[in-house]
Amino acid sequence: MAWTRTALTLAASVAFAASASAQQKPEKIVIGYLNLVNAQLVAKGLGLHEKEMGVPIEWVKFGSGGDVNRAVAAGQLAFGGVGNPPATIGAGRGLPYKGIFVLNMLGPVESLAVRTAKSIEKPQDLVGKTMAAPFGSTTHYLTIAYLRENGVDPTSVKLLDMSPSDAAAAWIRGDIDAAYIWEPSLNKLVQNGGKILMDSGTMASRGYPTWDIAVVMDDFAAKYPDFVTKFVKSECAAVDYWLKNPKETAAIIAKELSLSVEDAERMMQGTGMVPCSKQITEAYLGSSKAKGKFVDTLVSTATFLTDQKRLPKVEARSTYEDFIVPKYIEAATASN
Amino acid sequence: MTSVEQASPDTAARKPRFTFRLRVEHVLTAATVVSLFALWTLLSRYKLVNPLFLPAPEVVWRSFVEVLTVGYQGKLLHEHMAASLGRIFAGYLSACVIGIPLGLLMGLSTRVKAVFDPIVEFYRPLPPLALYTLLVMWLGIGDASKIALLFLAALPPLSISAMQAARSIDVGHIRAAQMLGATPAQLFRHVFLPSCLPGICTGMRISLGFTYTVLVASEIVAATAGVGWMIWDASKFLLSDVVIMGLFVLGLTGLALDWLIRQLERFITPWRFI
Repeated sequence: MAWTRTALTLAASVAFAASASAQQKPEKIVIGYLNLVNAQLVAKGLGLHEKEMGVPIEWVKFGSGGDVNRAVAAGQLAFGGVGNPPATIGAGRGLPYKGIFVLNMLGPVESLAVRTAKSIEKPQDLVGKTMAAPFGSTTHYLTIAYLRENGVDPTSVKLLDMSPSDAAAAWIRGDIDAAYIWEPSLNKLVQNGGKILMDSGTMASRGYPTWDIAVVMDDFAAKYPDFVTKFVKSECAAVDYWLKNPKETAAIIAKELSLSVEDAERMMQGTGMVPCSKQITEAYLGSSKAKGKFVDTLVSTATFLTDQKRLPKVEARSTYEDFIVPKYIEAATASN
Repeated sequence: MTSVEQASPDTAARKPRFTFRLRVEHVLTAATVVSLFALWTLLSRYKLVNPLFLPAPEVVWRSFVEVLTVGYQGKLLHEHMAASLGRIFAGYLSACVIGIPLGLLMGLSTRVKAVFDPIVEFYRPLPPLALYTLLVMWLGIGDASKIALLFLAALPPLSISAMQAARSIDVGHIRAAQMLGATPAQLFRHVFLPSCLPGICTGMRISLGFTYTVLVASEIVAATAGVGWMIWDASKFLLSDVVIMGLFVLGLTGLALDWLIRQLERFITPWRFI
């Protein structure tokens, strides 16, 4: 059933591609992007999507993937970005969207910062401390994973739900002593008496990979399949630009996020960008025929969230397989 | 006048007045509620809307029972309600204590009004979330900033209606009482207060509604309990049954509080309900 549907849409997209001029254009395309450091900022800064698609693009910034999930119901977004926990929630609960492109693999760009003055040296020192993380996000997931890995009961830490920017404000006021958040807000903690206790790169090597994935709404993909391929194409171009021109990229990111170029360069180091030819290999999305490791991450995230009573149940593996759709990257890289 | 006085004891003896009118209105109210529920049931029964966005009534009921007995994120429903109501009462009552006298003074003295009016009128239309960002920076992430936001939402309707009430006192009544030799205390107790109370009561009802509308906003940042927080948190995990259940809980407690204030109104201004 799922296979025939995929085949049908594939056939339809080929048919549409053949008569590209006949296909109607959306009036404008709304892209929801996450407030973090990845090549999407390059696509935004250089106007790659406008050039590729020839329609006006409206960029809407979201604090976290949970906010993106909430906005999906309103039906105004064409594209969005979510981390693996919100993606697991969305896919498992049947949100009408599909994951089409790896935005970034998370490394030290997301870190657990602790107040130096409180001499928090090991996970056990977090007991009884007030800590912030955006609930439902990658770092909330890793916070609990980190505590449990080290035998600390997550309920013994006073964990509060805050967006990274709120956490930075609360940190500066002295309300919290630890926060697992991402750049650019993370830097404010380090600059104001914080140091890094753990980072998402290390957690990935311990078996908790986290990543952000671009999603397309089902409605939009059914109506404008060509534009989804075009979207992926310019995202791929942005990744290539990032990898080939680090200096220029740093300048673009510095401008987009109002940072110094040095900060932008350092934050770029903490983010893993995956070229599109690699995205459709087994380690990432995989191919349309054999989905890759991302499905494993979704399943283990679902198991984890269910343990935490955040999800009613772990869905069948096929639910998560259906969420990962590499065909647009396949189309985009084939046409190059 | 005389005919009314004669008629009233006798209709009161035959039990409720306006029996017919009330009955029609009750039926209309019940019809609205029932047809909305029927529509909801039909929409979900025939899968006309995505159940993720509008879960079936029985699913919402199950989540109510579950949060009541098992809890949501470690706290039972009544604990969430206690957290929220505690914040609401703290904000609302302090707004009453400050707002009502302030409004009366503003109504009596144009100078007091000139001092406070720009403050109240300026922040009144500001969106609560924008205010809240600043309050979190000033007062921190604890209950102080949450209560402050509720307080700020509750204040304007209270002070404005108290001001209007004080300004619309019939000067004739005051003159008459003074002529009869009323002391300032008697003037306050027997003329001023009775004529202001109805306006104040209306303000209190409107204000409670305003306080309620900012509850979710006040519990978004760093809360770990509260009905508003539960709704916000559940929406992140797409638990729309919990969201809708929470809205029902808020709506019904809001109705109950409004009913309480109306009873209070009957108690302190009985002459309006004869």
